[in-house]
Amino acid sequence: MTRFTKLAVAAVVAGLTAGSALAEELYLPNLAYRTGPFAATGIPLMNGQADYMAMLNARDGGIGGVMVNAEECETGYSTEKGVECYEKTKGQAIVTQPWSTGITLQVLPKSNVDEIPILASGYGFSPMMQGETFQWAFNTPGGYWDAADMIIQYLEGQGSLEGKKIVHLHLDHPFGKEPLPVLEQLAEEKGFELVPIPVGLKEMQNQSAQWLQIRRERPDYVVMWGWGAMNAGAVTEAVKTKFPMENFIGVWWAGHDADLRLVGEAGKGYKSISWSIPNLDAPVYADVQKHVIDAGLSKTDAEEMKGVFYGRGLLISAILAEGVISAQKHFETDVIDAKQLRWGLENIDMSEARIEELGLTGMIAPFKTSCNNHTGHSGGWIMEWDGEKFVQASDHLTPNIESYRALAAESAAEYAEANAPWPVNEDCAATN
Amino acid sequence: MLYRTAGQFKTTYQADQALFPVRQDAFLLGVILLFAWVIFPLTASEFAFQTLLIPILIYSLAALGLNVLTGYAGQLSLGTAAFMGVGAYACYKLITIMPWMNPIVAILLSGVFSAGIGVAFGIPSLRIKGFYLAIATLAAQFFLVWLFEKWAWLYNYNASGAIQVPNLDIFGLYVSGPQASSIVQYYVVLFIVCLLTMLCINLTRGTLGRTWKATRDMDIAAELIGINLMKSKLTAFMVSSYIVGVAGALFVFMWRGAAEPNLFDIPLSFRILFIAIIGGLGSIMGNYLGAILIVGLPVVLNLVPNALGIPIDSATVEHLNIMIVGSLIVFFLIVEPHGLAQLWRLIREKLIIWPFPH
Repeated sequence: MTRFTKLAVAAVVAGLTAGSALAEELYLPNLAYRTGPFAATGIPLMNGQADYMAMLNARDGGIGGVMVNAEECETGYSTEKGVECYEKTKGQAIVTQPWSTGITLQVLPKSNVDEIPILASGYGFSPMMQGETFQWAFNTPGGYWDAADMIIQYLEGQGSLEGKKIVHLHLDHPFGKEPLPVLEQLAEEKGFELVPIPVGLKEMQNQSAQWLQIRRERPDYVVMWGWGAMNAGAVTEAVKTKFPMENFIGVWWAGHDADLRLVGEAGKGYKSISWSIPNLDAPVYADVQKHVIDAGLSKTDAEEMKGVFYGRGLLISAILAEGVISAQKHFETDVIDAKQLRWGLENIDMSEARIEELGLTGMIAPFKTSCNNHTGHSGGWIMEWDGEKFVQASDHLTPNIESYRALAAESAAEYAEANAPWPVNEDCAATN
Repeated sequence: MLYRTAGQFKTTYQADQALFPVRQDAFLLGVILLFAWVIFPLTASEFAFQTLLIPILIYSLAALGLNVLTGYAGQLSLGTAAFMGVGAYACYKLITIMPWMNPIVAILLSGVFSAGIGVAFGIPSLRIKGFYLAIATLAAQFFLVWLFEKWAWLYNYNASGAIQVPNLDIFGLYVSGPQASSIVQYYVVLFIVCLLTMLCINLTRGTLGRTWKATRDMDIAAELIGINLMKSKLTAFMVSSYIVGVAGALFVFMWRGAAEPNLFDIPLSFRILFIAIIGGLGSIMGNYLGAILIVGLPVVLNLVPNALGIPIDSATVEHLNIMIVGSLIVFFLIVEPHGLAQLWRLIREKLIIWPFPH
């Protein structure tokens, strides 16, 4: 009989939690991962996100005078737990932050049915930039295709790519395969040879086979789409095989301080693209220090706070808050719902002046979203590891969106077809 | 007491060998089915469907498939997840190649493919036993997951390398994909699980089941009394892989909605093996009990602090959860090494002869 009682209890409890929503708050849950295999990368991001929201609550009494409930639901980066969290929070949530490509893939098809916007800042499915098709999904301020394009732009700035050889070292997983279409297109255009080298999830920690192959191939550059333990594995192997670090460049999730600290000085010259800069002089850091850290509301430590990922966490929450503000202004209400937040996220205007006003000076480039531009394409900078920390190593780069707009439209159309019936935002004029 | 068998006389051999020699068993099963078919679906919330009811049923089915092979036929297998993957990918291909096909038929057909693959990987079992066989099935596990990654035709050349479940309907009612409602999916899963459970109960009580058990208990003796070991082992692989394949198709089509190859990796195999071991090897009911403990309990535990209003971090809850479930597993295995099903069996026997000591 235990079976019934357990299930009955579960049903009762589920009913209770579902019905216990507090009025007058903005429920912006985060599907966090502080446990599991990727916890090392997750913790600074989650801390940054949580601290920014806690700062808004302490400093301004929330957003537009309504307190934010940025509750975390722990997924451990597991898709199964992610779905559990999504189901648990979707009753009152006005946003979903899935935090893993796997979870994003699971909730994306449901987004039209549940009508809750998905905010996947800098990850997820690149064609999500097509807002008409992916009405509820946002990868603001940059997608993987932007990253791939900017990396190639930067490499081209170092000299023509004609006849060069570039290795795309990537996690053998939807995330690692994301930039391939754009990289292939660019290879054809610029005349370089692209060599994709996959790293299986099981081989993340030991990539000796891949690096042997890299040694054999003698590429001019290695571009890496790595994540979690894979970055540390790749960086240590690169050092071991004496690969020139200055020709090694990663996506923004491969620019994690802790991964590079493992090799320290030996990693000098390693680069990664980033849409965020941890500018410690920005006023936001002082505010967080004063209202959150000194008040003992934070889980972060001084070392972590200086890192790229913590700063990026702050920015992701800032983008979300900006979406909320824009919706509050437009609909003239404090407590917005999921539909209104979608409008808000579609109408973010992160101008230079606004960035200053928010105290995010020098941390992010200006961008704008619209109903057919869900990415914003803020562009980014190349960051370089100087042996101790990441420093800015290039001017601002802007992705060449036009070059893959057709590709995105094609992928989006394919997706819509595969998931028919898939509603498309018809009343969105195709102007960017 | 509750299980008093006084007055229930068997006067024919048939009655003596019936599925329910004790009337109360049939009554209990009736109550369970009433809950499963009527009460739960009418009262469950979306959350309960998606995180408790549907996954518990699907995991039970996968464990049932494994139990046929490991519990009844004694062939240790560590490749369960890969065979689930075969079922899921086969179903995906069937649906995309023949969109007019009834999804339920497609799901039941996809098991045929995994049965074929299962038999192929079961061939080594004719020569090796125990741990050595486990290694052979482990090879299947690694090879198949690798195949799901590398063979782009399997996922229709999607850029992401993952499969997405399309919206499928039966007579205008959506049963899979994002448009399908949970209650419909639950009934589809329940129907298939009930069907295959019935099949298994009858198989394991019949000739085939007896030859499996003989193979498990002492294969040399079994061969001496005329049991064809090859047939016995390969049918076990076939039936087991079929059920596991169907579970895999349900797993992706009726619950997850999307899957990447590494979903079918070894952790899932272990999870299903744990369900089968904790539930009880060589029992049908054990799979359900095991799935409730391994799949359902963590979800319920996650809700407890919130319901009691204890302010506690989600990450801390997750850590506590792992500890509690882990220690429960250890506790149950110490109390009853033969699993939860055996525990229930003992309780039932105690009740039957109550108030006399057992």
